[in-house]
Amino acid sequence: MMENAWLIPIFPLVTFLVLLLSGRRWREQGAYIGILLTLASFILSLLVLIERFKEPTYKVTIDWLSIGGTQLTAGFEINQLNALMLVIVSLVSLLVQIYSKGYMYGEERFSIFYAYLGFFTFAMLGLVMAPNLLQLYFFWELVGVGSFLLIGFYFYKQEAKKAAKKAFIMTRIGDVGLLIGVILLFWETGSFEYGEIFQAVQAGEISVGRLTLIAVLIFIGAVGKSGQFPLHTWLPDAMEGPTPVSALIHAATMVAAGVYLVATMFPLFLASVTAMHVVAVTGGFTAIFAASIALVQKDVKRVLAYSTISQLGFMMLALGTAGYVAGVFHLMTHAFFKALLFLAAGSVIHAIHTQNIEKMGGLWKRLNWTGPLFLIGTLAISGFPLLSGFFSKDEILMSAWEHGDYLLFTLAVITSFLTAFYMFRLFFMIFAGESRSSVNQVKESPSIMLLPMFVLALLAVISGYIQTPWFGTFLGDWLVEGNEKLLGASHNEGPVWIMFMAVFVSLAGILLAYMMYAKKKIPRDWLFKENSKLYKVIDNKYFIDEIYFFTVGYAIKGFSLFLSYIEKFIVGGLISTVTSSIEGLGKIGSKLQTGQVQQYGMIAFLGLAVLLVIFALTGGYLR
Amino acid sequence: MTGVPLSAYLVLALVLFCIGLYGALVKRNVVIVLISIELMLNAANINLVAFSKFGVTPSITGQVFSLFTITIAAAEAAVGLAILMALYRNRKTVNVDEMDSMKH
Amino acid sequence: MNVYLLSLLVFSPLLGIVMVAIMPKKEERTIKQFGFFGTLPPLILSLFLFSQYYSGVALSSFDTKINWIRFGNLAMYDPKLFTVNFELGLDGLSLIFILLTTIVSSLAAMASIYIKQEWKGYYLLFLILEIGMLGVFTAENLILFFIFFEMTLIPTFFLIGRWGFLEKEKASYSFLIYNGIGSAVLLVAILILFARTGTTNIEALSQMMTMGGVSLFAPISGSMKYGLCLAFIIAFAIKLPVFPFHSWMVRVHAEAPPSIVMIHAGVLLKIGAYGIIRFGMGIFPEQYKSLAFIVVLFGVLSLLYGAFLALLQTDFKLVLAYSSVSHMGIVMMGLGALNESGIQGAIFQVISHGLIAALLFFLVGVLYERTGTTMLTKLGGLTKSMPIFSGLLLAGGMASLGLPGMSGFISEFMVFLGLFKSQPLFAAIGALGLVLTAVYMLRAVLMITFGKSNSLVEKEKHDLKGLEFVPTVVLLGLIISVGVYPNLLGGPLQETIDAMMLALGGR
Repeated sequence: MMENAWLIPIFPLVTFLVLLLSGRRWREQGAYIGILLTLASFILSLLVLIERFKEPTYKVTIDWLSIGGTQLTAGFEINQLNALMLVIVSLVSLLVQIYSKGYMYGEERFSIFYAYLGFFTFAMLGLVMAPNLLQLYFFWELVGVGSFLLIGFYFYKQEAKKAAKKAFIMTRIGDVGLLIGVILLFWETGSFEYGEIFQAVQAGEISVGRLTLIAVLIFIGAVGKSGQFPLHTWLPDAMEGPTPVSALIHAATMVAAGVYLVATMFPLFLASVTAMHVVAVTGGFTAIFAASIALVQKDVKRVLAYSTISQLGFMMLALGTAGYVAGVFHLMTHAFFKALLFLAAGSVIHAIHTQNIEKMGGLWKRLNWTGPLFLIGTLAISGFPLLSGFFSKDEILMSAWEHGDYLLFTLAVITSFLTAFYMFRLFFMIFAGESRSSVNQVKESPSIMLLPMFVLALLAVISGYIQTPWFGTFLGDWLVEGNEKLLGASHNEGPVWIMFMAVFVSLAGILLAYMMYAKKKIPRDWLFKENSKLYKVIDNKYFIDEIYFFTVGYAIKGFSLFLSYIEKFIVGGLISTVTSSIEGLGKIGSKLQTGQVQQYGMIAFLGLAVLLVIFALTGGYLR
Repeated sequence: MTGVPLSAYLVLALVLFCIGLYGALVKRNVVIVLISIELMLNAANINLVAFSKFGVTPSITGQVFSLFTITIAAAEAAVGLAILMALYRNRKTVNVDEMDSMKH
Repeated sequence: MNVYLLSLLVFSPLLGIVMVAIMPKKEERTIKQFGFFGTLPPLILSLFLFSQYYSGVALSSFDTKINWIRFGNLAMYDPKLFTVNFELGLDGLSLIFILLTTIVSSLAAMASIYIKQEWKGYYLLFLILEIGMLGVFTAENLILFFIFFEMTLIPTFFLIGRWGFLEKEKASYSFLIYNGIGSAVLLVAILILFARTGTTNIEALSQMMTMGGVSLFAPISGSMKYGLCLAFIIAFAIKLPVFPFHSWMVRVHAEAPPSIVMIHAGVLLKIGAYGIIRFGMGIFPEQYKSLAFIVVLFGVLSLLYGAFLALLQTDFKLVLAYSSVSHMGIVMMGLGALNESGIQGAIFQVISHGLIAALLFFLVGVLYERTGTTMLTKLGGLTKSMPIFSGLLLAGGMASLGLPGMSGFISEFMVFLGLFKSQPLFAAIGALGLVLTAVYMLRAVLMITFGKSNSLVEKEKHDLKGLEFVPTVVLLGLIISVGVYPNLLGGPLQETIDAMMLALGGR
């Protein structure tokens, strides 16, 4: 089955092409093409995953580009991480497409939406199957385009336009870092292939300084894609896209690509202590930074967006503290519960047509299915015991503790507290209390939207059990199988109190949110007032956007203006001096033309005389 | 005949040519300029004839050539004078320096 | 048959010229059809050549050589001395350029349906221009090259000056002046070479220059060689164009009719790159090597300068013009990298930019035809009324900013790959350009297609239709196929680049 794995990304590509070429002819029917072809991808991915349990890594390449004697290849590879990612991506994509059939109903450009989804899925699947860094980069950017197209799906909205542009450019900054890293790595190792690179790294062929530089550059790519600080600002804005898109791209798949990249290049990072530290610190800082912003946001999707950034920071923290399995594990569980949360949020938005949580409330009784599903997602992300998030977060905390970086460990613990708090703040604001909505007719979403949520809820509950301290560490064992030296331990054994503390912290967060937003025992502004300076700073996302706008934005604009003056005055001046000096010469020359024939004759005669003199002096031969 | 050396002919031609050149370049009256040009042509003729007699390889060619030149000079004088007449009719002047309509 | 094929190819537009010439002036439809059909024979012949190449026929078997002009009488020393032959030849590099020429010409002829007046003169000049371009890429000696080179200038001058937009005369004069200066420098260099060596055959010259002084009369001193190499580089840098010689090209892009800009940006600018590769690098490899630093420097300057200025423009044509400056900077960077990947990247960039610019300017033509403006500030929200057009524009913009899967990525990647090896610092600075390209391209494209549609474009606009699909689909197809499987282009180039690398002294 693995030799046919190349078909997995082809199916969504076919969706894209067919729907694009058919234009608006099929409208809603276009969804069936998308769903069926993605289903095919999913089934194939599942088969490949099952086969991968038994068989070794499979890799096929063909010559793609020859530069001199060097042959660059293209192809695909199925290793443990790839196979797992294939299933996650195709599954989430499938579920989102099913969901969208209900959510996007009535949209004029319905089949275009599915075409874009198909394109994105194609690119994402291609990304995870790439056998070498160049091909990874290839799809890495295509994924960005898919995201760009879908964020800008409502092209007539000014915000959507801005958000799409911002997303593309911010990630592009990271991409350039990645590209440079990849190129430098090529000149160090002579190859783009993972295997050869890791061999060179292990053999110590690259100096540590170089290695750190390369690893950090590659990490910049991951920072851009995964919305890590300081390139995170595009991700909240990306919520301008349709909600299913947010679930697919900006929660489960594309933003996780950065984590996937670091995981794929893990041996490279392991070889440089500094690079690992950079990853860990960036992740840890982003986690708490984004969580603090999520505390005060009023837009349901933005809360989820910041929570995504924060969770991605968690994954980076895990990877940076050598917790390979922890990072990948959390990547998987997060994909499920965050997609669930987004879809559930979409279902809420679908019902009451607003994203502002101040205007929601009391929906628990009116959205009989969405409410519990949202609760499951919220519990999972908060690290409530026995749900998937609990296990993966536990693994991360263990990893941070094991690594001995107690500051980061503390940060992570505080972040889990904040996570539990703001997630339940969101939950209670939406579902508890009195209705603040102006919409009277609140209808539960159709079953085609509920079905995907059920599947995700199920996964959000059970997917944690493949890697637990009690029932074995199946995922970890499998992931590092054959690569123990490269990837590190399959499971982090930490003190038991960490688990209890994690439970305590998350329960404390939930309790605090319950007291503040459900019972209203504690006033909402008990810690700081809504008009206090600190609140304003956080509410404005620490003014990062503004800082960028006033520094980088203005610098570039100013420099452009400066150059345009150069263009106008120096380059233009250069030209006008040349032309005017030639014109002046011509004018002087024309003065000679007096119309006096006798003068002409005189000049001609003198000229002849001079020539003759020269001739006489030199003897007729010019040397 | 042998008493007159080649250099005498050449000096005569040179003097004639210089007078002609001076007249052609300096005099304002077009008639004088034309006459001066004739002088220069005749100076060249003298040279041709002189060399045909006293040159390194004396031959008749030089004399034949001078006959050609005389013919052409005559034709040139005719054309020149005709142009001069036409100009005079138009411009009421025979001064060379006033005929500068080809100025820049 | 093979011997005459190249001459046939170069002069095949004559058929179209005759056909157009005998048509009465008023027959718009027929003239346009004939004009287009006139570009087909070269296209077919060049495709035939390409298929011959792929079926394994040696490209050198197409060489043509006819004795033409002889200066002086030195046959007793060497019958080849001071002769200028009519000699055409082909190698992988010129084959690629010829294909580019014929394809872009045919598509531009198709895009010329928007020409509103004096079709006859237009198509006559157009076809003469094509002869010139084909000649430039096949000429085997410098004099012949120069003749064909000049043959491209004059029709272009009239095409810009007669059928352009508002300030067409100014644009065509600055085109002529700059290119005239370039030509003058080129001519001086060519004549010095001819006078000193007695030959202008490119192959003979490069052998002479690399193997050491076997020239007959006055051996060319080292500093003279530097001077000549520099003269070639400058002459073609003006053509390319490179900062600070770019202002003529910006004007031409803004004022020439879009179909001519397709040719201009698609092929004519590329003569500059071709010239630097063939003459600068080919004849004076040693000298070129030590001048490469300057080439890279100006490449990076152009890249960033063009990108920064493109950010500010409010006319879409000007955005594209400055983006051309920027992209030509990448060509220079690749040429200065002095390794296989850099040079191959530069050639790829030349081809890729040719295709992308042709596509974008075709779309500019369509845009102007439908809305009567190319000002970004007046446009907006075209996705609503012209979805196909907008999609194609977006695709073109993406190709231009180097999206993987399209030809621009391959070339930029290879150039940077090469440059990071030889000049890492410049490469790192240049990488900033990659971000800027994305910024200005997206800014321009999104201003046209996204956002609210304003009053100017509110009216029901016709989307692309009928024949307009041909150029866009062909160009986009080529861009994507090169991007997905770059070896398509890489194959023919390999031999030429290998030879060049040998002359440059290995890697």
